Amino acid sequence: MQLECRNISFRYPGADADVFDDLTFQMSGPGFNALFGPSGVGKTSIARMLTGDLDNFSGHLRARGIDRILYSYNLERLPGWSAIGKHLARISTPDRQAKKEQLVDLFGMTPFLGARFSQLSLGQKNRINLIRYLLQDFHMLIMDESLANVDELTREKIILHMKALFPDKFFVYISHNIIEVSKFCREILVLAGPGNKRPATIVHGQDQHLGQPLEKQHLETTMLEIMNAA
Amino acid sequence: MLPRRVYQFLIIYALGLSLLLIIKYALNLSNYVIPGPLEIWETCREVTRRYLSDVMDTMSVAIIGQVLSICMAGFIGIVGRQTTWLGSFVKVAAYNVQAYPIVALAPIIFILLGDGFLSRLLIAAMICYFPLLLSVLGIMSEPVSDIEHFYRMTGRMRWQLEVKIRAFENIGKLTTVIAGSATLAMAGTIVAEFIAANAGIGYSIRIALYQSDLGKILVALFLIGISLSVYQGLLEWLGMAVRKAWESK
Repeated sequence: MQLECRNISFRYPGADADVFDDLTFQMSGPGFNALFGPSGVGKTSIARMLTGDLDNFSGHLRARGIDRILYSYNLERLPGWSAIGKHLARISTPDRQAKKEQLVDLFGMTPFLGARFSQLSLGQKNRINLIRYLLQDFHMLIMDESLANVDELTREKIILHMKALFPDKFFVYISHNIIEVSKFCREILVLAGPGNKRPATIVHGQDQHLGQPLEKQHLETTMLEIMNAA
Repeated sequence: MLPRRVYQFLIIYALGLSLLLIIKYALNLSNYVIPGPLEIWETCREVTRRYLSDVMDTMSVAIIGQVLSICMAGFIGIVGRQTTWLGSFVKVAAYNVQAYPIVALAPIIFILLGDGFLSRLLIAAMICYFPLLLSVLGIMSEPVSDIEHFYRMTGRMRWQLEVKIRAFENIGKLTTVIAGSATLAMAGTIVAEFIAANAGIGYSIRIALYQSDLGKILVALFLIGISLSVYQGLLEWLGMAVRKAWESK
């Protein structure tokens, strides 16, 4: 699996400045990769280009070995007319029932299956939303702040188990949490804010897996590289 | 909800009546122009039963007209929500047609269909239909992106689901619009009765107008207001009951 962007230039209609000017990068999967950078640098725009929602850009975007791309974000809602357990049952095929139960348990959502979406906390809403995406057929899942408002320990548990449960999937993790992307992601595309000479840099993260110890020095080096690039 | 509507109407009616009486006594107007409280009470006792039956007649036409309008606006609103050429055509046509004062077409309807039930029904439905259609079109054309995104992404979106999501998310607005359209349907029927019909409270008001009997008109207005408040309150209660039932499924 490979994601290749070559000479991408893009400007929103009516905007004064380009979001990207000759952006080139490459990422390889499967696994967890990240898009990192300050707000407004174009992380979500890249995601929308990948899903085909944005197509009025110049340059080449190629996804090898990736046919089905899903994009989830943290403000999504489930309809309020039935309990979340019923929604999950409706959107998962019979062969994924076991996976569904495993994910619901891992994400700590079992006690809330009878609740309506509006009755959940923000973190619970994001967890249930992510579960329904993981139960779909996909090659690449873009997670745009999909674990926002989830506490750090639960987030770590979720990411590590996702890596173990979906070893053949390509995840693009969009986050503003520098420790998190340094720890869990393999390739981190750092999009620089205005004034930085290099618009985008790939930094190699720790790519920590379940049961694997953390190399603190390596982590600090990664974080430093990201901060320099951003 | 139901008593609140009735109280609100009673307060407004009492204020209006008080204002008329203040004008009467301030300008020393005769009972022929503005009748006094006793005369109004006498008229009330005399005509209430007949007028109540007329109001029910008018109201039944208005309710049937409103139901027809809701069904039509729902159907056209669902078709017009699409971003296809048909959807755009329906929207443009609806916006343009509603700009015309539909009530001006009433004489044509009376000429073609006579002064019976059908003419009143058609005028009530037409007056109530276009504002209702514009609201339904607006609600149905507005995507609820944060809910619909998942279904679009995963290829699960069907038109029935889209309509269900938008209706559920806007049930409060829809209920308000439907309750509001009851007034329009009633107004449409009364206007039709003013113009040419031979039944209903509008017809009775027209006769009272020829007799210059303000007392009868005030009684008619009171009965129209009370009946409409009860009907609108019932519609709002029904909207809440539908939402509750939907949410507790």
